[in-house]
Amino acid sequence: MRRFVALLGLVWSLANLGVAYFFLTGAFVAKTAAKEGILAQLSLLLGGVLIAGFAVLLARECVRMLTSAKASETM
Amino acid sequence: MRIVAWLLVAAGLVVTGIGVAAALGQAGSGAQPWGNELSDNFVFIKALPFVLGFGIAVGLVMASTYGAKTRSDGAVRRWSPGTVFGHWVLTLGFVLALPTGMWQYLGGILDVNLPIPLYLFYRVHYIGASIVLFAVAAFVSYLWMTGDRSLLIRRGEWSRHLLGLAFELPPSLRGPYAKLLRIDLSQPRPPMGKFTFYEKVVELPSWSILLALITVTGLIKAGRYLIPVPGFVLWLASTLHVATMVAIVIKLLDHLRYTFTRWSLMGAITTTWMKERAPAVRQGAGERGSSAAGIAGGGDT
Repeated sequence: MRRFVALLGLVWSLANLGVAYFFLTGAFVAKTAAKEGILAQLSLLLGGVLIAGFAVLLARECVRMLTSAKASETM
Repeated sequence: MRIVAWLLVAAGLVVTGIGVAAALGQAGSGAQPWGNELSDNFVFIKALPFVLGFGIAVGLVMASTYGAKTRSDGAVRRWSPGTVFGHWVLTLGFVLALPTGMWQYLGGILDVNLPIPLYLFYRVHYIGASIVLFAVAAFVSYLWMTGDRSLLIRRGEWSRHLLGLAFELPPSLRGPYAKLLRIDLSQPRPPMGKFTFYEKVVELPSWSILLALITVTGLIKAGRYLIPVPGFVLWLASTLHVATMVAIVIKLLDHLRYTFTRWSLMGAITTTWMKERAPAVRQGAGERGSSAAGIAGGGDT
């Protein structure tokens, strides 16, 4: 069960890393600057950094869960 | 009381069914000059009073499951069955509303159109939002009926909780946190109750604020075709709705990270039971502190 949950968590964190990528790239394109302005660009930048950071933390936790589940199986 | 609550749920289900069917019938009659998106918006906003009322009735049934219990093997019931039900309903709502809301926002930013029509994203978003609002109404009713405040920090208890939270943080964060809030770390570590300090200081307040914000701003946005909303208010609601959505995405990642590390919390939110009196942190998780045995609280939450 733990392994399944860890896999789901890993998928979720990877999807969020994808979202973070679009936030970060969206913050630097001219279209956003023209359409939304500097505040929206800063918001996208901050949101992207935070989403990426927390997604990495979750992914790290899920990898730990997977490796510890494997280790306990081999013991 | 339980029979009355179930009768109210049955009546609420029937009335909600009739209300939603009437709204769908009106939208699908062909007599209205609405497009798909606007049509769904009207169905959503018209169904909402019924959904909220049904949520309140279900909250009454949830409240009837409230009460402290201890199993013969010493396990304590951490959450009532009603809370567990409400939590998973809320999860379902977020699973539907969050990705669809995110796509509506990102699609606009990236200026990308998928082969799937946009109104279908809105439709799923409205269904998810209805489920979230149903769960929020049920929880408000549940908390009103049970009077349970075990996750709230009482007046005069904040300094103890902030100190307790310091000991639950990773060592690298503990120092800056204590310095920022002027917390004396030489004081003895306060005993933890049934809930961790992180759950009481960070989890409950942040989720409550985010749920309130996303609900209120979403209602303003969705209700703008029925009730005139000033332009500035609508702009503010739209901006806050998106900002809150992003904050929920971040908080959800943090919530999963926190609970995965403490596997007993995952068990408790599924079975309602927890064997340890306080959630233990998995070895090597990089955080210390929550493994200290705490005193069991009063009722479950």
